[in-house]
Amino acid sequence: MKKDVKAGRAAKKLVGALALLVSLGLAATGCTSGPAESPTDSGADAGDPQSGGSLTVLLDGGFSGGYATGLDPATSNTVGANLSQNAAIFGGLFVLNSDEDGQNGRIDPNQAESYEFSEDSLTLTIKLREGITFSDGTPVNADAVIWNWIRGLNSGSTSSPTVLLVRDAEPQISDELRESIVSALPSTHDPVKLEQDLGAIRAVDDLTVELRFTAVNATFINGLPGTNLNWLASPTAFKELGAAEFKVAPVGAGPFTVASAALSQKLVLERNPSYFKEGLPYLDELTFQTTNGDQVAYQTLLAGQADVIEGLSTVSLTDTAKSNPDLVVTEAPMTSPYVVQLNTRIAPFDNQKAREAVYYATDWDAINQGVFKGAGEPSQSFTASAGLFHNPEVPGYRTFDLDKAKALVKEIGGLKVVLGTTNTGVAPVVNTALQTQWQAAGIEVELKNQPLGDVITTFIGGNWDAMLQTAGAWDPSTGIGVGVRFGSTSPFSGAALPEGAANAQEAIQKQLTTPLDDLLADAIGTLDPDERDAVYKEIAQYISDEALAPFGFAFSDAQVVRQGVHGPGLTTKIPALAVRMGVLYDQVWVEG
Amino acid sequence: MTAPTLNQVARTGERSSFLGRASGSPLMRLVARRLFVSILIVWAISALVFAMLAAMPGDVARNQAGMGASEEQVDDLRRQLGLDQPPVARYFLWLSAVFRGDFGSSLISGQPISTLVAERLPVTMELVLLAFVVSLAIAIPVAVLAARKPGGIFDRGVMVVSMTLLAVPNYVLALLLVVVFAVLLRMLPAIGYVPLSEGIIPNLISVTLPVAALAIPLAAFYTRFLRGDLVEVMNSQDYVETARSKGAGPWRVLWQHAFRNSSFGMLTIVGLNIGGLVGGTVIIEQIFAMPGLGVMLLQGALSGDSPVVLVCVIIFAAVAVGANLVVDLMYAVLDPRIRYGSH
Repeated sequence: MKKDVKAGRAAKKLVGALALLVSLGLAATGCTSGPAESPTDSGADAGDPQSGGSLTVLLDGGFSGGYATGLDPATSNTVGANLSQNAAIFGGLFVLNSDEDGQNGRIDPNQAESYEFSEDSLTLTIKLREGITFSDGTPVNADAVIWNWIRGLNSGSTSSPTVLLVRDAEPQISDELRESIVSALPSTHDPVKLEQDLGAIRAVDDLTVELRFTAVNATFINGLPGTNLNWLASPTAFKELGAAEFKVAPVGAGPFTVASAALSQKLVLERNPSYFKEGLPYLDELTFQTTNGDQVAYQTLLAGQADVIEGLSTVSLTDTAKSNPDLVVTEAPMTSPYVVQLNTRIAPFDNQKAREAVYYATDWDAINQGVFKGAGEPSQSFTASAGLFHNPEVPGYRTFDLDKAKALVKEIGGLKVVLGTTNTGVAPVVNTALQTQWQAAGIEVELKNQPLGDVITTFIGGNWDAMLQTAGAWDPSTGIGVGVRFGSTSPFSGAALPEGAANAQEAIQKQLTTPLDDLLADAIGTLDPDERDAVYKEIAQYISDEALAPFGFAFSDAQVVRQGVHGPGLTTKIPALAVRMGVLYDQVWVEG
Repeated sequence: MTAPTLNQVARTGERSSFLGRASGSPLMRLVARRLFVSILIVWAISALVFAMLAAMPGDVARNQAGMGASEEQVDDLRRQLGLDQPPVARYFLWLSAVFRGDFGSSLISGQPISTLVAERLPVTMELVLLAFVVSLAIAIPVAVLAARKPGGIFDRGVMVVSMTLLAVPNYVLALLLVVVFAVLLRMLPAIGYVPLSEGIIPNLISVTLPVAALAIPLAAFYTRFLRGDLVEVMNSQDYVETARSKGAGPWRVLWQHAFRNSSFGMLTIVGLNIGGLVGGTVIIEQIFAMPGLGVMLLQGALSGDSPVVLVCVIIFAAVAVGANLVVDLMYAVLDPRIRYGSH
């Protein structure tokens, strides 16, 4: 940071809270926004935001700092992990925003001006703000949205959302736009699907786009910022640069433009003078530096070589940072609780008594106190306080009772379990704690902590007993939410298959479902938040009654910044869309 | 096409006779033999690594696709990456491409591997070469000084310090160096690399800590080895006694007689350690966020990017094999008995 932060320390203590802020967007299912949000104060006791300066942000190479497939939204497979880079370069049609304390999360239109569902909820109309241009000077209009969305849905990116679009509509598209889209697609694209998508997505006028679904999709807007459809790239720049160069240094309409880039290493961005929000961004330069491990990142911050660590997850380092007067720690509002998924399709957890034994043997409170110093937020379901449809307590939920656990283990003649998880962060520590507790109940536990890729492979192989994971997202059905963890056809679920289906593929082909599948479908089959809330309560009750997976507590990473840095998502809270707080970098500023 | 002139014919004759003499020389035959064996070793390593990568559990397409991807998406990705073909076919396709100078592309980023290597190899080579030079520059004078008076204060101090440094893993040392020189003293950067094109001083500053983290344990090892060898030579070899009896001073005996002899053993150790030194960059580059081959190798391994891993391992192996080849040849140059096959 070029700005002198020492002066900021003194200033911080003196200056009262600046005015309040922001953007009173409407609830997530709301329809319109006001004008593009004005610059806002983004941290308590911070003073007036100041323009200028630069900021270096450290990102973990294992997650948000890894973008080996590039930054072209249409082809990147890590769009959801690289939200900060995407927001800085592309801006986004919509952003997840909230009150300063992280409550009342909502999807705010950003480059979009408004959105509206038809009466039957099957047609979504999005209107763009007038006058926005990409940083190369070309307009952000309906054609640009169609170009990006069709590319996003047809380029093989795993960051594209699963959407059921109408399949029989006639494309209404100019030859020029069609040619531009086709030339930007990989040669392996499916031409039939392309035609279908071109029919389902159409321009109503120069600033309005319409999308037609075959079924109600309550999570499309709520999940959009985590998918590649939220980020609009310049078709003209793509044509000029070519796919290979574009994926390294893409051109968008966000607050910053790419000055230099090396994939998964360092991304240097400069202020975009043509950004559509008056007076923003505040920073002249923003650098994302990839590091490996919390310890290295923390030392780099202390060495003065960086200003921000996004997503510090090591509890001991977070505590150390809290006691350092030169640093500010902001813990993310929680949206995703820990869960021990049990594979109910095979022994031993095809036996409900075995599953109940695990529920009773698990003392989540002890783990929360011992490992997380009480920072976790207890939850008996897949929701947490900063997410939608929060439902922390479930009637009849089986809580820790060692005697009952021992009795059940004895009754079923003993229990042997392989307990897996990822070998990163704090997960192996939690797994060890679980092993200790379960062994006290007479359960034999073998730990299997693996790299994420191997965990995925293990899930897909289907030969696993128990897996410590997180389940949930800001909207429970988006991201790695309840559907992924408990849908019978999801490769990452241990929930029972429908009767008559030997595997997930067969269930899909025969269109067979379980009662839980039906509930999960109902939860996204209505736009009414009250109805959705009621269905999620039913789902939580079902999971609890069937003892499908004991939930523990939600825990989130922390943002650590040097004194003098302010901004929404860094020094004020925004719920994690899926894993980590999103940062609105156009409003981040540094004290002079 | 014109007929060759007399001069050209004469020069060709000279050259062929030179080549004839060279190919007939024991040294050149040794070079050719060792070179052939080295190429075979590198090829065998490539086949072995390819087989290991193919046998490793995991599905790179699934891993790359992530948890949210459908089976259809994963299958498409697998076809795009060419992973739907059997491993043997993939290996020979890869090998034939290598002979055409094409290392292929990263499965993850799609970037040509030759481009990635061209960007990253100089970083790793700079670290390795500097660490190598620094470690020897520390070890040789320190070992000689320590061997001058075995059991003296300096010698004991050197032994304690070198033993301590040997016991500390280089990644721990790296973090300690960062704490002292970057966090507390603010003298050197904690992470990052400045290319030579931006100036030699900024470049050297940026590599100081990683080079130190690599070189210090190595220097400690060399010091202990060389000091021990020198002491043994000084105490047991007849020619050392002869030199002394001829009136040579202790320093002269140490440098000109004992050290020259010990340098043979040192050469062996240095050759063997090059592989370890190159391997050490994998961790050190991670810690210091250096954009080198080590980071590329680790990222490739973690993401199942087998073409990248394969090329990185081959380069590392080639460096290690090449270093040992050079050491072998230096032996042959220094000791004619090896050249003529008596050893």
